[in-house]
Amino acid sequence: MKFVVEMEGVHKTFVYGWPRKRKNHALRGVDLAVPEGVFWGILGPNGAGKTTLLSILANLITAERGMVRVLGEDIRSRAKAIRPRINLSSGHANFPWSMTVQENLQYYAMLYGLSGKRRNQRVEELIDLFDLQDFARVPFDGLSTGTKQRLSLAKSLINNPELLFLDEPTVGLDPDIANRVRESILSIHKEKGTTILMTTHNMKEAETLCQNIVFIKEGMVKAFGVPQDLKEELRLGDRITLLFDGTVSSPLPDDMDGLYSFEKGNGYHRIIVDDHRKRLPQILDIFVRGGVQIRNLSIQEADLEDVFITLAR
Amino acid sequence: MSLSPLQGEITKITAFAFKNWIMTRRNIFTFFEIIFWPVVGFLSVGLLAEFTQLQPEMRAFILLGVIAMGAVQVCQLDVCYALLYDVWSKAVKHGFIAPVGIMHMLLGSLLMGIMRGTAVFLMLMAASYFLFDFNFMVPGATATFLFAFGLFLNGAMVGMLVCILVLVFGNRAEVAAWSLVSLMLLVCGIYYPISILPRWIMFTAELIPLTYFLEYFRQFYGFETTFHHPLARGYLMVFGYLFLEVLLLKAARGRAKRKGTLLKLSE
Repeated sequence: MKFVVEMEGVHKTFVYGWPRKRKNHALRGVDLAVPEGVFWGILGPNGAGKTTLLSILANLITAERGMVRVLGEDIRSRAKAIRPRINLSSGHANFPWSMTVQENLQYYAMLYGLSGKRRNQRVEELIDLFDLQDFARVPFDGLSTGTKQRLSLAKSLINNPELLFLDEPTVGLDPDIANRVRESILSIHKEKGTTILMTTHNMKEAETLCQNIVFIKEGMVKAFGVPQDLKEELRLGDRITLLFDGTVSSPLPDDMDGLYSFEKGNGYHRIIVDDHRKRLPQILDIFVRGGVQIRNLSIQEADLEDVFITLAR
Repeated sequence: MSLSPLQGEITKITAFAFKNWIMTRRNIFTFFEIIFWPVVGFLSVGLLAEFTQLQPEMRAFILLGVIAMGAVQVCQLDVCYALLYDVWSKAVKHGFIAPVGIMHMLLGSLLMGIMRGTAVFLMLMAASYFLFDFNFMVPGATATFLFAFGLFLNGAMVGMLVCILVLVFGNRAEVAAWSLVSLMLLVCGIYYPISILPRWIMFTAELIPLTYFLEYFRQFYGFETTFHHPLARGYLMVFGYLFLEVLLLKAARGRAKRKGTLLKLSE
């Protein structure tokens, strides 16, 4: 398997303050290997080190210890070879304020060495792809937050990057615009096969877009895997709530397959199982056989937000 | 080398000139930089010279200094704007993730600085001729060109120093974009010969190439030079400083990556 990102024992400490120096250990020995062509999410609470991690990979910050290889090249000694092949888009997009959408794209295309017809063609393609035709001649200052974000994504594709870093790409956007941005991101990944690493605080977004999740806390990778595996690993199953009249003794055997936990209350039982689709018929059967008259039943599936809350605690 | 990589390098250089050009066109404060401040400064000094009934050679001395200063100031602003526009728009990280180097930035912004500096230089030359009867072309076209180019390189030198300071100290250091030139005004003999300065300030003046370019051009108006071969000294010194600054700017960029300044400048 070909890896586009390889990190081993990566540490980063920021020293600040004067005259008294203070230290912030942003990363404490991160190991990570990202295969080619995947779309991975980097999650974690505020200050966990997500942006530091992306910035090290984008060569905007240098790690003080550890090995970092991007697209098979050492980030320190081969940065020149890496930079034409990567790009970055971040939330709260900012670009030179007086330049229009078209001029901004032209400028960044020039920074990547695109000239003449090739540049104009690429800029037009991106303006079309992100539906920016109506704003092509509007200065950056005059754009709405959503349009600024679309420009940021368009800019990040100016060089057809093999590896794309997205730092909270939908932060501050209304749900409709955020959805459109997500669709654009997904189509970039599917159509171009671009490897994407994305940080986000939006769990639904991570669950919808990302194949794998890397959970970072206090500068360390705390969990890693597909969302379903993480839920199972943390025993965050589906929650089944049964309501009935009166009190009944628990008819569920303690050693029932897939049972994570069981809570008995006055007029209700709350049962957490690995997969409600597999376990519900058996549970209902046991209750009905026990003569319990079920008044109501509700099911709540565990989602990535539960994973996040559990890991962040 | 095939045409394509070379074309790519030229495109990267012109990107910085393109950005400065667009920002110049769209921002009112650049009007003040190109026309208002240089013209106001020039007229004030010119009128003062008229009022005090200075001898023609003294008037030449002062007008020459003020025109040179205007050209240096405009050019240095363009060079430091290559970074400052990104700092002000919080887009620093987008520039630094792109495959461009210090030389692309320096050459591209200097290109624009030379254009704007030439505009100011020519405008003030014409104004000095029509308003104060001072002929700037006495030394001839070659000497004027060598003098003007030297001024632009001085501008690049100051602009680079501002960029270094911003990368090291963050946006608090942007004040250097306006204050460093004022310091040169005091030290380099813009309005007076450096020979009247205290010894230690004179020593500082000797370390600044602008001093030599002014000496070189003023000799055509009958002023004795303090130094031998001022033009050669000026060029040697300015190229030496520029080379040193490229290295320092690379080091400052490395430090900014270690300290996280590039991200802070983008927040």
